[in-house]
Amino acid sequence: MSVLSTGTTGGLRRAGTARNAGWPSLNARLSRGTRFARKDTQRAVPARRRRSGRSLLMNGCFAVLFAFSASAQSVIPNNPGTKPVVAIRNATIVPVTSAPIANGTIVFEKGVITAVGANVAVPAGATVIDGTGKFVYPGMIDSGTNVGLIEMDSVAGTVDTTELGDFNPNAQAAVAVNPHSEVVPVTRVNGITHVVVIPEGGIISGQSALIQLAGWTPPEMVMKASAAMHIRFPRLRSAPLVNVPQDEDAEKERKKGYTKELDRLRDVFRDAQAYSRAAAARKDDRNVRRFDRDLMLEALVPVVEGKVPVVLHAQQARDIRAALAFADEFKLQVILSGAQDVARVVSEVKSRNIPVLLGPILALPQREDDAYDLLFTNAKLLYDNGIRFAIQTQDAHNARNLPYHAASCAAFGLPKEEALKAVTIYPAQIWGVADRLGSLEVGKMANVIVTDGDPLEIRTNVQRVFIGGEEIPMDSRHTLLYRKFANRPK
Amino acid sequence: MKIVRQLVAALLFLAAPALLADAPDVYAIRGGTVHPVSGPAVENGIVVIRGGLIEAVGANVAIPPDATTIDATGTHVYPGLFDAQTFLGFAPVKGSDKASEPAPDSLAVRNLKFSEDDVDAGRANGVTTIVTAPTSGIFNGQSVVLNLGAGPLESRVIKSPAAMQISFNTRPTWTYPDSLMGVMAYIRQTFLDATQYAEGREIYERAPAGLRRPQENASLEALRPALRRELPVVFIADSENMIRRAQTLARELNLRYIISGARSAYGLGADLKDVPVLVSVKWPEKPADKEDREDQPLRVIRDRQLAPTTPAVLAKNGVTFALVSNPGKAGDFIPGIRKAIENGLSADDALRATTLTPARIFGVDRQLGSLERGKIANVVVADRPIFTKDAKITRLFVDGRELRLPAPDEKKSDTSAATPIDGSWALTVRAPQGNVSIQVTLRAEVGRLTGTFSGDRGSGDIRSGSFDGTAFDFTISANAQNEAEASDWVFAGTLADKTMTGTVNTTIGNFEFSGSKSE
Amino acid sequence: MKKLLLVLSFALFLTLPAIAQERVTLIRNATILTVTRGTIENGSVLIRGSKIAAVGKDVAAPSGARVIDGTGKYVLPGIIDSHSHTAVEGSVNEVSLSNSGMVRIADALTNDDISAYRQLAGGTTTALVLHGSANAIGGQSQIVKWKWGRPVSEWLVAGAPRTIKFALGENPKSSNFQPPAGQPRQYPSTRMGVEEVIRQSFTDARDYLAQRDEYESKRKRGEAAIPPRRDLLMETMADILAGRIDIHAHCYRSDEMIMLLRLADEMGFKVRELQHVLEGYKVAPEIAAHGAGAGTFIDWWGYKAEAYDATPYNVALLVRNGVLTSVNSDSDELARHLNHDAAKAMKYGGLTEDEALRTCTINPARQLRLDHRIGSIEVGKDADLAIWNGHPLSSYARVDTTFIEGEVYFDREQDLVRREELRKEKEERLKKEEAAK
Repeated sequence: MSVLSTGTTGGLRRAGTARNAGWPSLNARLSRGTRFARKDTQRAVPARRRRSGRSLLMNGCFAVLFAFSASAQSVIPNNPGTKPVVAIRNATIVPVTSAPIANGTIVFEKGVITAVGANVAVPAGATVIDGTGKFVYPGMIDSGTNVGLIEMDSVAGTVDTTELGDFNPNAQAAVAVNPHSEVVPVTRVNGITHVVVIPEGGIISGQSALIQLAGWTPPEMVMKASAAMHIRFPRLRSAPLVNVPQDEDAEKERKKGYTKELDRLRDVFRDAQAYSRAAAARKDDRNVRRFDRDLMLEALVPVVEGKVPVVLHAQQARDIRAALAFADEFKLQVILSGAQDVARVVSEVKSRNIPVLLGPILALPQREDDAYDLLFTNAKLLYDNGIRFAIQTQDAHNARNLPYHAASCAAFGLPKEEALKAVTIYPAQIWGVADRLGSLEVGKMANVIVTDGDPLEIRTNVQRVFIGGEEIPMDSRHTLLYRKFANRPK
Repeated sequence: MKIVRQLVAALLFLAAPALLADAPDVYAIRGGTVHPVSGPAVENGIVVIRGGLIEAVGANVAIPPDATTIDATGTHVYPGLFDAQTFLGFAPVKGSDKASEPAPDSLAVRNLKFSEDDVDAGRANGVTTIVTAPTSGIFNGQSVVLNLGAGPLESRVIKSPAAMQISFNTRPTWTYPDSLMGVMAYIRQTFLDATQYAEGREIYERAPAGLRRPQENASLEALRPALRRELPVVFIADSENMIRRAQTLARELNLRYIISGARSAYGLGADLKDVPVLVSVKWPEKPADKEDREDQPLRVIRDRQLAPTTPAVLAKNGVTFALVSNPGKAGDFIPGIRKAIENGLSADDALRATTLTPARIFGVDRQLGSLERGKIANVVVADRPIFTKDAKITRLFVDGRELRLPAPDEKKSDTSAATPIDGSWALTVRAPQGNVSIQVTLRAEVGRLTGTFSGDRGSGDIRSGSFDGTAFDFTISANAQNEAEASDWVFAGTLADKTMTGTVNTTIGNFEFSGSKSE
Repeated sequence: MKKLLLVLSFALFLTLPAIAQERVTLIRNATILTVTRGTIENGSVLIRGSKIAAVGKDVAAPSGARVIDGTGKYVLPGIIDSHSHTAVEGSVNEVSLSNSGMVRIADALTNDDISAYRQLAGGTTTALVLHGSANAIGGQSQIVKWKWGRPVSEWLVAGAPRTIKFALGENPKSSNFQPPAGQPRQYPSTRMGVEEVIRQSFTDARDYLAQRDEYESKRKRGEAAIPPRRDLLMETMADILAGRIDIHAHCYRSDEMIMLLRLADEMGFKVRELQHVLEGYKVAPEIAAHGAGAGTFIDWWGYKAEAYDATPYNVALLVRNGVLTSVNSDSDELARHLNHDAAKAMKYGGLTEDEALRTCTINPARQLRLDHRIGSIEVGKDADLAIWNGHPLSSYARVDTTFIEGEVYFDREQDLVRREELRKEKEERLKKEEAAK
């Protein structure tokens, strides 16, 4: 067979040091491998890994290869550690759980809100902030982020989102959050004071943590170390089918693999139930035979006992249905996450009184035929049906855009007040912390932001942020770089 | 004496089809409805075949005394069907997953390898003539018009080369061109090079003195007839956008071209007036699962429902078109044609599109495509109109010779020859933490590699395997140590006698492996 | 002669009705954000055929005109996205070569990518569809308008400049990608190598041109000569040198920007637009001095090492330094709300409202050398615009109607009706298939 020698002079891509002047031979080497990401800016989505957590190969040398030398330790000042008495006066106060108060005053001390209203006395010794023309809101809560677990997506050494293997119920985000990640200040200066940090990957990804975006150590940040158990529910297809599969063998493999994943998930939960029963029995009766502890199953015990919620991550209607059936079978306390297809399963979700974490909202629908505004209108649909919901970004570096995800729902029919609630009081309720977070009410944590307008409007500037009554510096890697280069000598 | 001869012939025919070559070659098929295609159907007509050619067709034709008479009463007689786009004799391709590929100077007739089973499959549908070429690579090479007759390959060739065939196939990633844009540029550059090559040769041959001798290049040489518009260029293109791309290229390069595939040409209609079209009747299928069907875009559902209307639309717009089986199997041909008829194509147009029109498109209509005196005697007899449901081919003549038809229950035998990779192999993967042993049993067939594996990382079937004689690749689902969970390991390597070496690509890195054949 | 005139006048007569029936649309009582001529409250825009015929406070509706009441609404020029990869069939990268300048996006455009329609629903009408960034010199790109429902040939903006993608940094040096199994890493793998590829390519192009000149002069002298090979890649490089193709260069780090700008000065070519240009703020004066534009996005940072110093203040700093700056998408998703990025340019660094609006309209139009046709609401320009139900810089605003060249390509009311029709059609088609079984 002859070779087409129509080489161009510019074939500069070359292997090793040998310059390859012509086009590669027609007798092309067989190859399969990574293709370039379609977009150069696309964030690397953690691949679903199916390897063992105990793989020697990985535990050994490979992690070292990816170690990144650059520091991911922010030099931005952190919370000062003081919780003074603060009074913000003459501001429009938006408590969220009650009507806005014009020319109102809010007082907080020792990290707790002590007064909110139109006629509130300013305590002696309080730091008084003139809020004329300004607005006061509770800090916003993002119900699904990787903040603190990722510094640079493409640098493996700075990524701690995804443990190996399919089942990692004992993986805890709370122990891996980097308090000095640059992402933390970047997020909080836009008024997001709390985030749920979720592990990714596998089938049971691990336990999320609800954290405040201030603190010098992980324990100082963590409000709820085991906010929920996260399950990426097995999917037959990662995306709805477009073209008919041509490879029948691969299709069979796929179905087999899917069934196997479901079976294994059930097995793990049945084991956890058995473990829970056995542990309870032994607790009551020391004569019950001792058994070795299994940390993985132990982590699932509060889940099968319904004490810790499960966040089921599923987008397609068929997967949501399967996930709900699974939750029914094991009588789980469920939060649904993602749920792009929620409109197709409204009654199933409503009848179970399951809350839904929608988002990212600024994302593309899965199907070509989906309405262009599907993700913008889901929130209104849930609102109209009385289904509880919150809005999340599922982002790390851009969790700061949480309010604009919410605003996009309002642009398509959700009342603006509801959009605000979806990033304040609703997530607080869903995560079981409404006694401390989500609104400006006496007795709640002083998570307070001062703005020059509606925080869901992009053009609004967040001017001050208090987390637990501590005033947070309004600096971030971005403001520092800005100042540095705004002052570059001419 | 005459009677004796006839009797002997008849006996020979009945007793031993293999001896047909010795039978006399005069036949008269009488009593059936004769469909000459070049003219109206003739009830109770007669077709006389002699010496491989049609001697006479009509209602009032004398049956020669030396003819073997075939009573075709109640049946239908047609010219043999002409399937103008097949890959018979070549391995089917899946995407860009291809080890080696043809070039412009590859002659299909030199490279094709088909079994009699393949030929039988075509004949069972009444197909007596095909055009075939590989569908791998970009320049698929030069196709051949072939009679599905008996005898040596050379005796079956009607026309070679028939056309230069081009597919918009990308090559594997990191091998130029690995994108559709690259394929377009590659085709463009290749024709530009051929033009320059031809020009250079001409200048040099006219007056070589003082000129540096241009290099010989068989591939570019092979493109010269296409540049001169003597050899048509077939572009394989299905979608509307792909057809338009082919048209753009053909116009830009001033090629005489043919579109093949064209299943989604229902939206183009009159835009195809200036180009012959070979419409594939391998109609798009629907997914088996209901939820998948509901998930599919309306665009795709619409397309699969409208695609079978393409032939009717083209007929209505006066477009020259033939119906072809590629990329389907021989057995899909007639059902596919029937579907086109159900979607508005007249049976007459369907017949023309599978006989005379393809013959015209490939410039062999003086020999083939209709039942006319002097043409090659490719004749089929069907027990009812050929495209009606349950119609069966009862007799079939190629080059004037009656050929046996496969019995419906005849199983296709798995007769492909053993290849050097067939057998059991002990593989060692060199991972930093120690060697991993895996045993594989492999079997290659027309480029496809199948088999099983077992060893340190579990066991199962291998997947997505291919083998080109030297290079191979396959994938296994390898268990992680001590765990039931699996990840894909992709092996790619080369074979040298009883050893193999290569690289295995895993989610945790690339490792080298070697293997030896276990006897 | 007389006959000819007769024929001509007849022909003219035939075309007249077409002119008379030109679609005329008047949008009135809206806030018109002209971008180049300020904001007109309670203003009108008159569209005649494909062009804007009048803009102002008092524009009377011609008889037969379709009148759209724009009370409470805003009219913005169609958003222009100077970094798109939408509607490309197959890979947007020809990965195999470090210079793939012979390939053309125009060859692989497809008109069935729903993203095009979704972008119309976000007020985006024009895009520069770029080759990917796998190679130091990528393929030739294509400027299109999202004329959803029309054949690809009608999407191409006639007379638009030719463009090509360059790429610097991690992508062309394949930092974050593994070669396919069994293949070695490919050149280049450092920023030094990227520079070398570009330098080599232009050097080769000069040699190529010299060869061609030698041949031409031989031929003119009547000497025997065999014409040199026409190489599509070298022709591309030569066209860049001749200023016939604009360079849009993907870059992240400031050092690589300086490298390219200096190399450009040295080799005699111009960089039209630095794409992404995340660290552009560090070298904004140098970018301004070269005359290159900058097309960036606000938010994306930290996804790789070279994006770690990205800041949302980039746009403001570039603009303050006099760099022609646009916000663009590089994403089917972001392309639907580039207005958000424009608004963020106010939030981060304090651009004025006008400056912010320009970053997604007239500035990209200038970068694409199409500002005589698009990018603002001015008489004589293409009627590419969108009616918004609120101020486009508000996160609560959405698009009601999008026009390209006077035709409605998106309309929310129509969409609501149409989606129901399509749902029904799908249902019926699936039913038909079930019945056929």
